[in-house]
Amino acid sequence: MNFLKWSFFVGVFSFKGLLASPPDVEVLETSHRINGSLMDETMGVKKAEVLDLLWGLYRNDKLISHGIMVNAKGYLLSKASSSMGARYAKSFSGKYLPIRIRKRDEKTDLALWQITGSSELWPFAKWQNDLNKTKIGNWGVSGNNDLSGLTFGVISAKSRSIGREGGVMGVILEESNSSTRGVEVLEVLPHAAGDRGGLRVMDRILRVDGRTVRTTEQINEIVKKKDPGDLLILSIQRRKKETLLRITLGHREVAFDMFNRNLLMSGPVSKRKDNFPMILQHDLPLFKEMMGGGIFDLQGYCVGINIARIDRVTSYALPASVVLPVLNQWIQELP
Amino acid sequence: MNKALGSTAYHWFLLFILAALAPNKLWGNDASNTKPWNKRIPHSIDDLLGIQKQLHEQLSEVRETVVSIEAIEGAGSGVLISPEGLILTAAHVIEERGREMTVIFPDGNKVKAISLGGSELSDAGMLKIMEGGPWPHAPMALANKSIVGDWCFALGHPSGFDNERGMVLRLGRLIRKKDETIQTDCRLLGGDSGGPLFSLSGEVIGIHSRISQNSDENFHTPIESFLSNWKYFLEEDILTYGSLQGGGFLGVSCEEASKGLEVLELIPGTSAESAGIRPGDYLLRLNDTLLDTREKLTILISRQPPGSVVILDYLHKGREISVRLTLGERPAEE
Repeated sequence: MNFLKWSFFVGVFSFKGLLASPPDVEVLETSHRINGSLMDETMGVKKAEVLDLLWGLYRNDKLISHGIMVNAKGYLLSKASSSMGARYAKSFSGKYLPIRIRKRDEKTDLALWQITGSSELWPFAKWQNDLNKTKIGNWGVSGNNDLSGLTFGVISAKSRSIGREGGVMGVILEESNSSTRGVEVLEVLPHAAGDRGGLRVMDRILRVDGRTVRTTEQINEIVKKKDPGDLLILSIQRRKKETLLRITLGHREVAFDMFNRNLLMSGPVSKRKDNFPMILQHDLPLFKEMMGGGIFDLQGYCVGINIARIDRVTSYALPASVVLPVLNQWIQELP
Repeated sequence: MNKALGSTAYHWFLLFILAALAPNKLWGNDASNTKPWNKRIPHSIDDLLGIQKQLHEQLSEVRETVVSIEAIEGAGSGVLISPEGLILTAAHVIEERGREMTVIFPDGNKVKAISLGGSELSDAGMLKIMEGGPWPHAPMALANKSIVGDWCFALGHPSGFDNERGMVLRLGRLIRKKDETIQTDCRLLGGDSGGPLFSLSGEVIGIHSRISQNSDENFHTPIESFLSNWKYFLEEDILTYGSLQGGGFLGVSCEEASKGLEVLELIPGTSAESAGIRPGDYLLRLNDTLLDTREKLTILISRQPPGSVVILDYLHKGREISVRLTLGERPAEE
């Protein structure tokens, strides 16, 4: 039995511990675990009430985010940066309807979608607006991936604001400007944003988003105003030829800490996971495609919108007190 | 056709058995006055609210006892269990005895501590604050009190101390408990290692050790490992796999059972075999010391040189037998 040593301590057991155990060892049935099938039944009629509010948002027949019905006229709230390009929404009851985007807010990363081609009136969310009532240790309930059941967990840490991190290319540029034009790329970190976008060592960056650059500082000024997931258009010179590259910016920790095992062990996380005015932290095991849906208390009141999957123990939700001012403004502006 | 019928009949049979057993197994112990967290499964929102209320109460009792540990190469977690500042953590957090480390309290206050002993077998480790006190501390559960199915909560500092965020809570259930390992569906991450697993009565039942590929089957050191080897962990160096080499050797593989350590296999030609110990026997005491964990047997045997004579009490076909054995030499690792 060997432990892998990490910068943060935790060993990994690579084999499936439970399968390897002899059959006579007592193991708690999967159905009885915190996210086992029997847990859904504890919610009684609230189970269907909660699931009736949740929708999956689809792009090219692929689930890209969850959404929550916030108005009887078919308005769905979701996470903006995850739901971009969605064409259809699918309900718990199996309805599959076209949607279009109506509003988007940069600050909260929320987007408002509307179901088109149906005049049906829909059940919509009721809110728990008082952040003080959502304490650490409170149960939180969301839908599962395909909205066939519920996911359980608890509010797990202090509510707080999350500062802005900014996007990175994951490259090292020359320090001082040489006399020739542009800025030379000295190093490209493997698998980081620059590498994925096709940037190579010795390339000279001439323009960023159409602006001519002569120093590393000028490039940094432009990049740091953008977020992970944002697009950067570079004009580069490679062997006397000029080319355009499109680079989707990444996270600092992903680019510069390739051996961050906490991230490796966590699976895909949300692209935008920083710069939120206030968040609720919880331990519900949600995929990044389940952001945009609601997290509910045991009475079925929505306490927040799941806004970012951080790692395998952490998800953030925007509390209702942050969501509602944005939402109410939007509802007023729309017919 | 026959085959299809046979298979259908088999399924009916299975369903029947399940239907007959299920009510007893699931609900049999759940009287109306059973605490919600002691039921096999919560039945209602009221039960969930009962668990939530108990969690709130116990969390406020114990949260001051959870610390972050800044070791040489990274960050782990730990829990205070005595007013003098004794901290339980993981062996792989402290790595060896006598290292100076920084302990961070929930309010951000920092103090110096020195690592004590532990064991790589169970991943148990100890640390002691060198100054001040009395310190807030959490109670430890008695041996064998926690069982499969118990609700539990994990506290720790995943990815290290973060003052804005504070410690992080996870709720789950005990899904397996055997020998030197507890498994739960509490989700863990690097930096949690050494942090406490609490029962819903607010007692330490385990220490976070390893994470599984499946995020709902993580590993903890049982509190039983500490209780069984307390003095050894306090006073001696960490028991490492490497240090077993060169020590005494019994040549018996066993696992923990309610009657004692159940013998599974014997290496032929050892003195245990010639003394008459057989698979299915239960080892009870070594030199009058109770063998309550498998780890304790390993420690007792390996800390004596080959050729030492020990007295082993064991249960053979229900009869207690006492034998004198000469310890052999551990075969070299391949």
